[in-house]
Amino acid sequence: MKAFGYMAPRSIEEAVGLLGRESAVPLAGGTDLLVAIKRGAPAPEWMVDITGIGLDRIEEADGALCLGAASTHARILASDTVRSRFPALMEALTGIGSPQVRNLATIGGNICYAVPSADSVPPLLALGAEIEVIGPAGSRRWRLEEFFVGPRRTVLGPGELVTEVRVPLPAPGTGTAFLKAGRRKAMSLAVVNVAVSMRAAADNRTADGVRIALGAVAPTPLRAYSAEQLLQGRVFTADLAEEAAMEAAKATAPISDLRATARYRYDLSKVLVKRAIMKAWERAAGPGR
Amino acid sequence: MPDVAFVLNGQPVEVQIAPHAFLVDVLRDRLGQTGTKVGCGTGECGACTVLLDGRPVNSCLVLAVRVGGCRVVTIEGVAADGELHPLQRAFMDCGAVQCGYCTPGMILSAKALLDACPAPSDVEIREGMAGNLCRCTGYVKIVQAIRAAADELARSSRTAFPGARRGS
Repeated sequence: MKAFGYMAPRSIEEAVGLLGRESAVPLAGGTDLLVAIKRGAPAPEWMVDITGIGLDRIEEADGALCLGAASTHARILASDTVRSRFPALMEALTGIGSPQVRNLATIGGNICYAVPSADSVPPLLALGAEIEVIGPAGSRRWRLEEFFVGPRRTVLGPGELVTEVRVPLPAPGTGTAFLKAGRRKAMSLAVVNVAVSMRAAADNRTADGVRIALGAVAPTPLRAYSAEQLLQGRVFTADLAEEAAMEAAKATAPISDLRATARYRYDLSKVLVKRAIMKAWERAAGPGR
Repeated sequence: MPDVAFVLNGQPVEVQIAPHAFLVDVLRDRLGQTGTKVGCGTGECGACTVLLDGRPVNSCLVLAVRVGGCRVVTIEGVAADGELHPLQRAFMDCGAVQCGYCTPGMILSAKALLDACPAPSDVEIREGMAGNLCRCTGYVKIVQAIRAAADELARSSRTAFPGARRGS
């Protein structure tokens, strides 16, 4: 194991100061960063532990669910708000790693590591999440759609730290769903993952507020805007869902790798998007709404 | 080199470590607790599972410097007063152990599961154990052992608290 130094700041300000140094990186759960170093990635000179600076709050504020960036997946899954109002997020986080990993890994880490297959991202995109960032030049807020630049690359500049993920509380009558296909049931990276959020208008027939997001099918997780437009404001039918799923697949740009071929990912995108739309609609307009 | 002080299996310990030392290596090489195994070293196999403040974690991914002030339980701390834990007995009785390398991690994940969910379904058992790989047994006997231990714990808690509601 390569040597590195370790610092445990006690406040966000102190952490930002320490991260301003060259070759200092934030350490949260470590389940990606430390594994990468064990596998041969260069180690930074300093690890700045950000798990003791108050970034683990999970609370409702100003019409949003605010997730401190250093909240572990296990703690988010234990939140009553998440369990009752964010089923797609719950379904996504339940499938990340193992119980042991979910006790360490954080939501901020899953987002900042920025792998195209990150399971937390499609539901957060579908829910309209924003990312709060603090850095040497102060704080700024990003729409999640604008946060990713490429595989393992984000808009974060030197010394910047994600502090919070803000997820607007869904409007009444909203249904959300997350679906993932992997090579196994557990401990599996997504071959394709999909999240859908939509609501039924007052007539309980018209689709509204439609958001469709996919992961592992392009250099970054993406929104399928044209597919959303196909459903938006129209009377919902299964045929329309099928059409939107075809359109969503066109927004993908998948690669072939050891988990699947590009063609398989493209075809799988259609299947999963259709199923996720049907499930989200059922939750929005079905008898259990 | 920083000092780290924590509670290991109920006993306070203090040890000088390098900042990049992992908990599993400190447990095994510095504190002589070799029941915790190293399998993959990358958080996939669960052989290194320990309980950190009651929650299962991969000790191969936890920097030892971060456990200051925490409670750590390893397989050496699962038996109490010379009595094996019902999970340990059930793993033996059900033949849930073959080579044994995964067993310490299995027992700790199972203990965390039963502490949080005393009467799990088979699906809940399999989900709770998803982070522990066994290359010998095929998991059937492991699931059986955990169910047997859950039943045993439920029986003994009824005996200890005769007023307790049945089935709770």
